[in-house]
Amino acid sequence: MITITINNKEIKLEKAVTVLEAARSAGIKIPTLCYHEQLEKYGGCRLCLVEVEKMPRLQTACTLMVTDGMIVRTETEAIADVRRGILEFLLINHPLDCPYCDKAGECELQDLVEKYGPTTGRFKEKKRKVTENLQDPVIVRNMERCVMCTRCTRMCEGVQGASAIGVVSRGGHSHVEPFSGNRYDCEYCGNCVSVCPVGAIMSRLHRHSYRPWQVKENIETVCPYCGVGCTVVAQVRDDVIKRLVPKIGSPVNNGMLCSRGRFGYEFVGHGDRLTTPLIRKNGVFEVATWEEAIGLVAQRLGEIKDKNGSGAVAGIASPRCTNEDNYVFQKFMRVTLGTNNIDSTARMGYAGAQSFIENIFGQGATGNIISGLSNSDAVLVVGGDPTTVNPILGLQIRACSRRGGSILTVGHLPGFQHFSPLELNPGLNHETQLFEHILEHIVGELVSRKVLPGSNPLLEAKIKTVQADVAEMMKEPAISEKDFAGFIEKLAGAATPAVVIGKELIQSSGGGYKLFLICAITYLINGRIYLLSDHANEQGVLDMGCAPDLLPGYRPLSYAEFRKRYETAWKTTLSDKPGLNIFEMIDAAGNGALKALYVMGENPVFNLPDAKTVEAALRKLEFLVVQDIFMTETAQQADVVLPALSWGEKYGTFTNMERRIQRVRKTVDREGMEDWRIIAEVSKHMSQRMQYADAGAVFEEITRVSPLHRDLTYDEIAEGHTIYPYKGEPLRGATAEIKIEKGSSYPDGPLLLGVARPLFHSGTLSRKSPALLKIYPEAVVRINPATAAPLSIADGDIVRVTSSAGSLELPAVIDKHVEKQVVLIPNIFEGKGALSLIAIALDPVLKAPVLDSTPVTLERVGKVSA
Amino acid sequence: MTILSQTALQEIDEIRQNYPTARAALLPALYVAQREFGWLSPEAYAAVSDLLGVPPAIARGVGTFYAMYKNKPMGRHVVQLCTNVSCMILGAEKLVDFLKNKYGLEPGGTTVDNRFSLVIMECIGACGTAPAMLVNDDFYENLTEKYIEEILGKYQ
Ligand code: SF4
Ligand code: SF4
Ligand code: SF4
Ligand code: FES
Ligand code: FES
Repeated sequence: MITITINNKEIKLEKAVTVLEAARSAGIKIPTLCYHEQLEKYGGCRLCLVEVEKMPRLQTACTLMVTDGMIVRTETEAIADVRRGILEFLLINHPLDCPYCDKAGECELQDLVEKYGPTTGRFKEKKRKVTENLQDPVIVRNMERCVMCTRCTRMCEGVQGASAIGVVSRGGHSHVEPFSGNRYDCEYCGNCVSVCPVGAIMSRLHRHSYRPWQVKENIETVCPYCGVGCTVVAQVRDDVIKRLVPKIGSPVNNGMLCSRGRFGYEFVGHGDRLTTPLIRKNGVFEVATWEEAIGLVAQRLGEIKDKNGSGAVAGIASPRCTNEDNYVFQKFMRVTLGTNNIDSTARMGYAGAQSFIENIFGQGATGNIISGLSNSDAVLVVGGDPTTVNPILGLQIRACSRRGGSILTVGHLPGFQHFSPLELNPGLNHETQLFEHILEHIVGELVSRKVLPGSNPLLEAKIKTVQADVAEMMKEPAISEKDFAGFIEKLAGAATPAVVIGKELIQSSGGGYKLFLICAITYLINGRIYLLSDHANEQGVLDMGCAPDLLPGYRPLSYAEFRKRYETAWKTTLSDKPGLNIFEMIDAAGNGALKALYVMGENPVFNLPDAKTVEAALRKLEFLVVQDIFMTETAQQADVVLPALSWGEKYGTFTNMERRIQRVRKTVDREGMEDWRIIAEVSKHMSQRMQYADAGAVFEEITRVSPLHRDLTYDEIAEGHTIYPYKGEPLRGATAEIKIEKGSSYPDGPLLLGVARPLFHSGTLSRKSPALLKIYPEAVVRINPATAAPLSIADGDIVRVTSSAGSLELPAVIDKHVEKQVVLIPNIFEGKGALSLIAIALDPVLKAPVLDSTPVTLERVGKVSA
Repeated sequence: MTILSQTALQEIDEIRQNYPTARAALLPALYVAQREFGWLSPEAYAAVSDLLGVPPAIARGVGTFYAMYKNKPMGRHVVQLCTNVSCMILGAEKLVDFLKNKYGLEPGGTTVDNRFSLVIMECIGACGTAPAMLVNDDFYENLTEKYIEEILGKYQ
């Protein structure tokens, strides 16, 4: 126990902290400027100076550690004098343009000067002039205002890990700049914006459009983009979201956001939003009333069900919608329409991989705490770059490296290039052999130490059948034995290893087999698994039973006792036959077995492979309803389009990849209905009443029927710690089933298409977010210089990329980080999606589409017109 | 890909071996690049940062802090004249005027024929024999206008 005295107040402390932290814990305010709770201590601004008895000079409270018996004073005449002096110095160069500056009202310098500063300055010479820099599309820099606290650079380098900005020049000329001096061209997380205490680095999105004190409400909600589920605070004025800021202290993202979360909110009020129901009459959409549209949907679905049976109807749910939306949707499909034909794009990999992993390790095996990654001593990363798919999770891996842990990657991941990863790059064709080889080595190591875990004999038996083809693996590009040995040493020697699995592995040729190998490796090293997820509620959509073989609570439909429970709760009988999955739905539509499809918040034409086939299949349907917020490629084909409220306009919950259930809150008002409410209305018209007053009532039902959500309340969730099973029943254990099938191998052919996953986009939402479009405006094809050269393709040239499924013309970007064998295209921009070039082929085990084996040819067709 | 010459690449590689971290090798590596191009262009920073694995914004921060790195193109010969106390007392400021009038060479500037650039230095440790200057790596002291004329004549 340490006892110190600050301003005659005795403070007892469990452990040594800084004087500043001690003072704050006792409610004593000490002014600061360079200090920020998220950052390394710096001690640069000297505003926090305090008097400490027996110490000769004033001390910086933010860096001085307390010692027992210390006597501190924070407000004396001498200190006030010094503070006045420091502030007078700062104002030598700082302009007095508060009336014009967006920061005014929440500016730390303004507050400090108002409280401690001199009323006049004695400096008569000229102030430093620096013109405001508006070269960047989303961040504006005003270096006249910079007080050189270096909070931004400490954030960018020490926490974000991007090191994109630095202090340039010296003395009175110092200022902060990105490398280019103009555009940032960085990760655009905006975390530097968050920590700048003055108006030197600010967001352009809300420039000069409001004052901080005009924010009517600070509404805590969840980022709509990825499966990390960062807690964000929406600041709203005049029913417009002015700014999204991260929540400091949130257990998920603690004060950090990525570019999508921070700058991607403008889709909410976008002018392209659907505003009224539309009905197709004689081939063209006509505006309809809700009554007409809902009546028609209910009537047609009813007719088709009566005529062709329940099996002729199917529904596609949405990993972008809330748990409440998805719950009501699957209940509508199962109870009102009587079919298990319900699925979502979680089928693109997340669902299959998760059930594979859970069969081996038990339910919830992939639900590990994201922040725990930073405490691992080794993180194995396979299947893509987490810093772009789940950026905030990526930061935790960077933090792990900073704390001395090792990052072990298979493939080259640019997001870790400044974090000295141990990298093995076998090239696509030899990934399987590499995994086998790693597995063999670890088995060898463990056997020699006689420490095979033994807890899963079935898995161990399968592991023993694996034999690596080392000679094959060592073909191009060769992996050096030294690198391999170093990799194994770190992996096998780790005490708290984590394994991060991305979709690129799951969606690869032989993905099911590779996943088995990774699971086996994880088992042997006793690692924790993280399964990357690119949608905000991808976990929730499965939890809610939006899968052909699952009931809410992630309960298998095939177990009679679970079915029984829902039959009682819903007063219905449930078919024990699993429904069609999303790919089977497309097949069935194509061959005429499926007659009607209800799509909620999803865009299968664009988000499934092979747009042409999907489109053709949907055209054969007798009836297609699309419920969405924008006129998507799929909605364009619909018979009825229903406009829904978006993420920012409704209440509900999302469940992130950790299985943390979080509240989504309404931020702005808009006329219309939530997805669940529209569905309930349709159901009512089909004489199956679903009566819920609000999202809370839906959730209340969920907590009654789903064992995972038992007895939870919205209030409890709001605390942020409800990770299931919270009060629910224990999760299922492992099953006796481990399927191994090698799947397809890579085709011969020099070039393969890959799906790029840029940090700045998600697809449907991001392509309607102007700020993200300014950062990353159009689809491009990324090519390795070695691939481009023989084809005479230069940066910016228009290139035609052709596969058996179609072709696209795109500007080229020459990028040395791309593998030689691969050309990368994102699946984001309308009419230019990578998936449209890929024919549907599923992995035999995971039932996920193979997306990395499409041979393509490249042809230069022109230059960008200047 | 890189704009550095083979010798420079090799030299930076060797330098890297002598330091525990890449960042520590940054200062000498930047000198090598500066020697190649006469100044540190954005491309030069990018090349060095690529080679050492130090983020370019950090490299540029370092290179703009120290006066001996040049962040704009220099003439063929760089004149670095001291105007600190001793040199100033002994007439360095007049020498600055002389360079301006005689050669059209302004502090921080370059002659139109690209022959000379002038950089004003703080004390270069020759106070006893002030005023003093460097031309490229050559050192001159006890400067007078006439002497400067004579010296600069040697640099074409
Ligand atoms: S936006 Fe993020 S990456 Fe870019 S400079 Fe700021 S902190 Fe660094
Ligand atoms: S830009 Fe802001 S955060 Fe960065 S050093 Fe200047 S005042 Fe501090
Ligand atoms: S996109 Fe993901 S990582 Fe980025 S802010 Fe949103 S939830 Fe967080
Ligand atoms: S807050 Fe302590 S020195 Fe800046
Ligand atoms: S003052 Fe010029 S050399 Fe010292």
